[in-house]
Parts: sequence; structure tokens; C-alpha cells
Amino acid sequence: MTAQVLLADDDAELGAMLKEYLEREGFGVTLVHDGESAARAALSGSHQIVVLDVMMPRVDGIEALRRIRQASRVPVIMLTARGDDIDRIIGLELGADDYVPKPCTPRELAARLRAILRRVRPQPEAGGPVSVSGLTLWPEKRRVEWRGKPIELTSMQFNVLEVLMRNAGRVVTKKELSEQALGRPLARFDRSLDVHLSSIRQKLGEGAELIHTVRGTGYHLVKD
Amino acid sequence: MGRLFWKIFFAFWLTLIAAALATAAVVWALRGERAASEAAVALGLPAVLATDLAAATLRHGGVSALRDWMSEVPRPRGLAVFAVDAQGADILGRPVPEAALAGARELAGSGEARRAVREVEAPGGQRYLLFAQLQGEPRGRGRRGPDTPPWLMLVMGAAASLAVSALLAWYLARPIRSLRWALRAAAEGRLETRVRPLMKGRRDEIADLGEEFDEMARQLEKLVEAQRRLLHDVSHELRSPLARLQAAVGLVRQDPRRLEASLERIEREVARLDELVGEVLALARVKGAKPASAEELVDLAELVANVADDARFEARAANRALSLECADRVLVRGRAELLQRAVENVIRNAVKYTAEGSTVEVRLSAAGQRARLVVRDHGPGVAPGDAERIFEPFYRSRANASVDGFGLGLTIAQAATAAHKGSIRAANAEGGGLRVEIELPLAAAA
Repeated sequence: MTAQVLLADDDAELGAMLKEYLEREGFGVTLVHDGESAARAALSGSHQIVVLDVMMPRVDGIEALRRIRQASRVPVIMLTARGDDIDRIIGLELGADDYVPKPCTPRELAARLRAILRRVRPQPEAGGPVSVSGLTLWPEKRRVEWRGKPIELTSMQFNVLEVLMRNAGRVVTKKELSEQALGRPLARFDRSLDVHLSSIRQKLGEGAELIHTVRGTGYHLVKD
Repeated sequence: MGRLFWKIFFAFWLTLIAAALATAAVVWALRGERAASEAAVALGLPAVLATDLAAATLRHGGVSALRDWMSEVPRPRGLAVFAVDAQGADILGRPVPEAALAGARELAGSGEARRAVREVEAPGGQRYLLFAQLQGEPRGRGRRGPDTPPWLMLVMGAAASLAVSALLAWYLARPIRSLRWALRAAAEGRLETRVRPLMKGRRDEIADLGEEFDEMARQLEKLVEAQRRLLHDVSHELRSPLARLQAAVGLVRQDPRRLEASLERIEREVARLDELVGEVLALARVKGAKPASAEELVDLAELVANVADDARFEARAANRALSLECADRVLVRGRAELLQRAVENVIRNAVKYTAEGSTVEVRLSAAGQRARLVVRDHGPGVAPGDAERIFEPFYRSRANASVDGFGLGLTIAQAATAAHKGSIRAANAEGGGLRVEIELPLAAAA
């Protein structure tokens, strides 16, 4: 099955080149040029992953992401200008799964797409539900409950929580988390993990206390 | 407290002290003179009454009656009445203060003290000088008020002048300190600093200075913000060709057979980068240009005609036309190179956006003291409310977000006209299309 990618970039020429590249890498690519059609197409449910350029006229990538997240948990990668940390953090907080700085090599983009797709696909070998401290997680259904109440997580947040739960009771370093949950090595000054963690805590409400930050090292999910 | 504060403070304080000392010296000199007689002889109403009584007693009862009265009747508080004969002896045999006696004699002679000091003849023919003297410490009822010790007055004066000087120095030095603080803040890059609110109700030269500072800071803030935005926009604009370059390289790596097509694309992107950098530099040059005062005379008519000829050639190739209506000689003072850029950018912009088969109308006229160039196309015009924004760097109309051009042309035109004290305006023309109008002062008027 070829993964269907929705690519939104207002630069038509660049979009066409990326489409060409990704198609030859085995992806199916739909190209749109503004945020509005991006949000509409993403919500149609026919794509496994969405790539959103932040800078688009009228409805920009951030706004498109906001619209998508209101109704869908489809994985989203943001294309942000290199060095623009604000866009990056806002994107992650709004529920983007990852970002790729622009300009980027098409190879980098393809690798990132694969990493995320690999991690959001239900893995049959993952086995039955994991239960820790009132949290229950079903890997194959990509479903989480906290004290019987379902928690809505984006795919990357789900991965991060899963890694923490499987290693409950010990400190998981940021390096491990990045490699196992995000599928890429930890980059310097990368705040993605912190933003994902803070989103997870927010969604857990009272359960937020379960996850401890070990400064300079990583995170620790308490096992009772 | 800065040095200015201390300078004003000491200058003023020393002045005050000097003035106080001078005043005190004069007062003391005058008071010393009066004190000699006044301290000795009482002149007030009690003294007049007492001498009256004594005079009546002496005149009718003689010396013995006066002696009895003097020793028996209690004296008014603190008042001693003396009756002194020609030899200077008191009738009660009391010692008479010499100063008082001399004062009394003098006063009696001058008639100044009238009834408080008088000479009376006793029945025996003996003449007595009657006067009263205040005894002991005066008790605060005198006309001179409390007799403050001089050292206390000195201390009080010093303290008062100190306070006044400090207040004055503070009043003058404080706004200057505020100004200094604001200047430093501005130097450290905090251009949002405003100093006027710190001076509140003040209305003087220092407050004016504060206002000037605020105005300067406002202007600088605006300029810096514009520069910052331009830099941000430029870096964003540079990224698009770079992203395409990287994508093109990626495509070759993926499949080396595509080398030729990708190289073409790479060349195109490099050319675009070069063009963009050139435009940005042009904008920087135009913006940095000195005001055109003693520059060459330029015939705008000739310049516009030349540009229009070139543009007409280009327009014809794209199946568009250009009409020119031009006054004869329109002289303006300025730099031909900048003016040419402004005119060229506006006309080329019109040719680019005008609809196929339509005509761009260019009209140059001189009216009053201004030269006016109107360029009108038959394109999509601008969205309502965007008429001013089209002069912003990197603005591109929505209707035509094609990759052609960077949106710097009109910005450069605006900067160039501004450098010549002219103006540029844009609006949608009646019947569709965009109408850009440039006004420049004529040479004669300049």
C-alpha cells in the first residue's frame, strides 16, 4: 500500500519538484497551494500524513493545522523557516507531530515522512494493552485511557507516552525518547519533546503528576 | 545625584547664605544703635503712665511724697521709675545705670519721647528728670519679638537655605537625569523609551527637549522596525529559491539521468537569486541616497519618452500596447538614475499586469509647480484597502501571485520619489485597472 501524502506549499514550482521526488520514493502525493484547500483535503480522510508549509497566503499553515486538529488526528509535519522557533513551538503545541526546517533536502523530508508513518501504523506485534498507574494504552488501537476516561492524543504524543509507559519506573533519556518515539536522533536545541510532553500533561489533567521531568536528562513516568 | 545637581545646589546655597549674612549684618548694625537707648529707657504706655503719676506726685506732694509713692506703691511689672536730680543722684539713692541716664537726658532734650521722659520742677525748686526703665529680661511682649540667640538664627537660616537650594537643584537636575536615562536606554536599543511622561506637567525648554527626544525615538523605532521587517522578508524571499535549488539537487541525486533538466532549473534559480540580491541592493542605495538638492537638471519628458519606448517594445511582444501623452520640457532637479528607476518600475509594472490586448496609458504633464506622471493599466487593480500596501516590500497582488518579480519595484519607485521630495500614490482607476500617480517638484520651483 502506498502512503498517501498531502503536501501544501504555496510555491507551485517547489511543490511540483517535491511531489516528483516523493512519488519516485513510493509515496502518493496530492499537491495543494493554500491552507484552506489543505485543511479541506486533510479532513477528507484520504491521506495518511499531511505536510504543511507555515508560510502560505490567506490561511497559513498554523491556521490550517488548527482546523485539521479540530476534527482529525492525522499526522502533520510542518515546514518552518529555519531559525523561526516561534512557528515551530506554536505548531507543536497545536498538535503538529513534527517539523522540518525549510529549505530542506527532499531526502530529509522523505526520511521524516517514513519515520512518522512507521510509528503511527498499528503494529500487530506490539501485543496487548499496557497498564501503568491508572493509565491504560492499547498499541494496536492507538487508544489511551486515564482512569477509564479516553484521552485524545496525536500520533507523536501517543508514541511518546507509549515509550514512557513501557519504561515506567525509570528515567527515559531525551535521546532514547527522540529515537524511539519520534524516529529520529535528538537534535541540538530541539524543543519538540518538551512541547509534546507539555501537551500530554495538559491532556492528562490530574494525571500530569505521573510524569516527572528530570532536568537535563529526560522524563520519568512514576509506577505505583 | 549628579554633578549638575551639586553645582546648582552649592551655587544657590552659597548665594543664599551670603545674602542672609549680608542682611543679618545690616540688621544687627541698625539694631545695635537703637538698643543703646531703648534698652535703657522704656517708652511704652506703662512707662508713660508711671512717669505721669510720678510727675503729678512730685509737683503736688514734693520730693517726700514722691519718695513715699515710689517705695510704697508696687511698681508695674518690670518697670522701675527713676527721679534723678541735676547731679545724677536718684531720690531713693539707687544706683542709676549710666547708659539709661544719658539716654534719658538725650530723649528729654529732643522731645522725642514726650511724656515717657520728662523734667519736672519740685515745689522746692529742685528739677528732677523722670523716666522709667525696663527691669530684668524682657518677657516676649516687646515689639522686637523673642530675642533669638544669633547662633540659632544662623543654624535656622542655614537649614532653610539648604532645603530651598536642594529643592531648586533637584527641580532643575531631575529632568536632565531623566533625559540621560532615556538616552542611555535608546543607546542600548530600547527605542520604545519615552521621556515626556516622566516630566508630567512641566512646560519649559527642558520639557521641549524631552519632546524632541521622544519624537526622535519614535522615528528611529519606526525605521528600525521597517529595516527588521525588510531583513525578515528578504531572508524569506531568499529561502524560496534556495528550497527549489535543494529540491532540484535532490532530484538529480535520486536519478542522475535528470541531470540536464535539473541543471537548467538550478541555473534559473541562481539567476533569480542574483536578481533578488540586485533589487535589494538597489533599494538600499535609493533609500540611502542623499536628498537631491544641488543635483543635475533632468528633463523628465525625455526620460519618460525613453522608458516608454523600451516598454512599448516589450509590450508589443506580449500583445499589449502603450500610449504616451507627454508635455514638451519638464525639468526637475535630481538624479537621473534614480528617477529613471522610479519611472521604469512603475511603467513596467503596468505593462506586466495589464490585460492582454489592452493599452497602458502614460501621461506626463506640468501643472503649477509640480510635474505629474500618471500611469494607468487595464489589469486586475488592487484589492480595496491594499492601495498603500502595494508599496511595501515584497507585496504581490493576490490575483497575480505568480513567481515573476519580487514586489520590490514599486518600493524602489516610492523611495526614489521620496528622495526627490515627491510623492507617489496608487488607486484603482474608474473602469478597472490600476492608476499610479507620481508628483515631483519642478526645477524652477525647487
